[in-house]
Amino acid sequence: MKKRFRAVIAAGPMGPGTRLAVILYIVVLVLIPLAAIVEKGLTGGVDGIWRAISTPMASKALFLTLWTAALMAVINAVMGTATAWVLVRHPFPGSRFLATIVDLPFAIPTLVAGIMLVTLFGPQTALGAWFGRHGLQIVFANPGIVLALLFITMPLVVRAVEPVLMELDPAEEEASFTLGAGSWTTFFRVVLPPILPAIASGTIQCFARAVAEFGSVVVVSGNIPFRTLTAPVYIFSEVEGDRPAVAAAVSIVLLLIAIGLLFSTRWLQGFVRRERV
Amino acid sequence: MAGTRRIGAWSRGTLFLFAAVVIYLAVLLLLPIAALVVQVAKTGLSSLFGQVFGGDALRALEMSLILAVIAAVVNGIFGVAAGIVFVRHKFMGRRVLDALSDMPLSVSPVMVGLAFLLIFGRGGWFTPILDLLHFKITFAFPGLVIATLFVTLPFTLREVSYVLLELGEEEEEAAAILGASPWQIFFRVTLPNIKNALAYGVTLTIARALGEFGAVLIIGGAISGKTQTGTTFINVAMEERRDAAAYGMALVLAVASVLLLLVLEALKKVEIKADEE
Amino acid sequence: MRRNVPVPATLGAWLALILLPALLPVGVAHAQGATERTLTLGVYTTPREAYANGIIPAFQEFWKAQRGQDVRFETSYMGSGAQSRAIVGGFEADIAALSLEPDVTRIQEAGLIKHDWKATPHGGMISQSIVVIGVRPGNPKGIRDWDDLCRPGVQVLTPNVRTSGGAMWNIAAIFGAALRGQTSAAPGDTAAAVTLLSKILAHVTVMDKGARESMLTFERGIGDAIITYENEIMTAKLAGQPYDYVIPKSTLLIVNPAAVVDTYAEKHGSADVAKAFVEFLVTPEAQRAFATQGYRPVEKTVGAEVAAQFPPVPDLFTLADLGDWPKIIKKVFDEGGVYDRALNAAQGTK
Repeated sequence: MKKRFRAVIAAGPMGPGTRLAVILYIVVLVLIPLAAIVEKGLTGGVDGIWRAISTPMASKALFLTLWTAALMAVINAVMGTATAWVLVRHPFPGSRFLATIVDLPFAIPTLVAGIMLVTLFGPQTALGAWFGRHGLQIVFANPGIVLALLFITMPLVVRAVEPVLMELDPAEEEASFTLGAGSWTTFFRVVLPPILPAIASGTIQCFARAVAEFGSVVVVSGNIPFRTLTAPVYIFSEVEGDRPAVAAAVSIVLLLIAIGLLFSTRWLQGFVRRERV
Repeated sequence: MAGTRRIGAWSRGTLFLFAAVVIYLAVLLLLPIAALVVQVAKTGLSSLFGQVFGGDALRALEMSLILAVIAAVVNGIFGVAAGIVFVRHKFMGRRVLDALSDMPLSVSPVMVGLAFLLIFGRGGWFTPILDLLHFKITFAFPGLVIATLFVTLPFTLREVSYVLLELGEEEEEAAAILGASPWQIFFRVTLPNIKNALAYGVTLTIARALGEFGAVLIIGGAISGKTQTGTTFINVAMEERRDAAAYGMALVLAVASVLLLLVLEALKKVEIKADEE
Repeated sequence: MRRNVPVPATLGAWLALILLPALLPVGVAHAQGATERTLTLGVYTTPREAYANGIIPAFQEFWKAQRGQDVRFETSYMGSGAQSRAIVGGFEADIAALSLEPDVTRIQEAGLIKHDWKATPHGGMISQSIVVIGVRPGNPKGIRDWDDLCRPGVQVLTPNVRTSGGAMWNIAAIFGAALRGQTSAAPGDTAAAVTLLSKILAHVTVMDKGARESMLTFERGIGDAIITYENEIMTAKLAGQPYDYVIPKSTLLIVNPAAVVDTYAEKHGSADVAKAFVEFLVTPEAQRAFATQGYRPVEKTVGAEVAAQFPPVPDLFTLADLGDWPKIIKKVFDEGGVYDRALNAAQGTK
């Protein structure tokens, strides 16, 4: 019976023709372009890549990209989990609305997100001026970058944790309370362990997303070399300045990071189990 | 019994957590949107309509819509085909291809632009062929299409794969045993099962396509009347101090995103309902 | 119970509904009709208003009267260097109107310009300006000259030389003024000039991609002083922005070129329109449009008309006084040149 089934699905829309088309599509659209970047970046050999990324501007840009993404990921991990917890365990009138809003950054163009942040926190706004008086510049400075990244990736942790939280059996927590444990103990010993992989997976995804972010950062950061210039914006200016080899070299670094993160996420999820976007 | 606590009780800790989350979401999500709306209101609603629905703004919007539709169709078909191929088939290189198709989520848009410039731009890998065919990709519409296809590749695929995985092969097996042809199985069994996932993925695809900025900027050059999209129009309009036009377009795109978001939420509800049946 | 709606059918219906009206107005390829011609312009960032509000409409009228044809314009405004490289890289502009000569020469050297574009009465140039320092209304920080940009607490804006022509004019102006002994640096002392440059660069807070982006950043409240084209300040004032500007004792005369990109113009069948447009740019009508936006005209009669609009400069020098563009680019802008050294030194002092 199984053989007949296999024969059947090996034909038609699920057959070898489709498979070939899918393979070709991915190869042409994804593999070849990425290969082109790698090839260009390697024009100076591995030495060339090192030289390109060790210039003061490039290395500062890479460092900035990584630490802002990391800081944001930590904040997101905490607040995203908290948000998921509140939405799942403490529904209140209006929580449906909030749950919908949480998905908003997925839908909004990143450029528009950046503009919104500048409109809200720019130096000429009330909020921006207030922060400025207290010595904290947001827009055209690093806090703005972290804020933009936070906005863009916010849904990722929430959506990773929510389904797992929903499947948790409250009886375990109840049992924990019955045995006299406090809220925090219960949280850390009963709730957290099962959702930890989901939190980790979501956090890694948002870190990866943040490292690649361009549209919102280019508007919000001010793009000051050595200070608020991130790697993607640096790559952009090298492309516009007709230095594709340098752009490609830095891109290779970002690509390696992305691949590394991709594999960690998969390892966390188990290969075949794909996560809802 | 000492220590008994009901889940959902509003202890002080919970209240604090709750407040933290609500404030966090409000500041990070609601406030920026409100700022944008206020900004648009300030520049005047009538001038907004005049600006956005006149001349090059309208063309830019149309361009974005066309790109979104193309991406939805092409990557929708791809998502279904590849979902089937990756989940139902086993072949060498499957894992690599599967990983590759996730890459667009973590590749920076500027790298996408760079990659296609390297392949299709001056001195590019495929440029001699293109010149022979008198077919222009960079700084022209086809380039925008390709860039949009790249960045929207994974969405439908991920949704469809997830569902195919969850559902297993039983229904299709049964249909095969009952004598259905491959195409019949596909249209009568597979497709209806993945309908929701497909719709969800297509909606995400459209949202992402509308929001694409970095890649289309690099590959298209934002030539007014030719390769201008909604997002690159905002960029250009801000540079020309046409604030009304820029904020107006930003609002239009934001509203479109919110509408798409509502569609997503509705689809989620349908899915939950179907699950409960 | 699942609804038995055939998915492909509804999907197809929706798509057709959306696609059809969207495709109609936006043609992917515009056939050049007998009555409509298309011109594609590749311009640098600042002259948008001059073209959009003045020159393009005037030319459309002119051509309509002359030949009875409509001219549709496709325009791209980008930093001069970026635009130049885009054209070389495949952006099929019929006309390149850029900020400085080397950006047009690059296109010529790529084989895309095949005529001697400099063989015009104005040496291929169509507009002029000078490098100035824009300041807040009333000049609260009392900035008068290049050296004042080094004072503690002064924040400066200038664009990125990789992409912006204006940025290159700015750096050349400072370097030139220093070499000419018009600043705190001793005349002819390259090292001192580099030091001055690095001190100023240490005060730069944002480096945008183009002159226009730089101006907009200034308008958002960033910076005390912006080094930019005189025309950019004037365009901003026309748009209602309340700026003042300061002309340093010694500054550089900016000359902007424009040329037909033969390869593309011929390919598009628009060589005649393109040539006419470039020639139109130096007619009094176009020059007046430029002058309105703050450009110093190259054409003599209009120049005389608007002379009162433009303050004189104590020591106005041209690039020729510093050498020629290839030499300056090699010495100042190439890797390891004056600019690189100054930028790295500036980094060190942060």
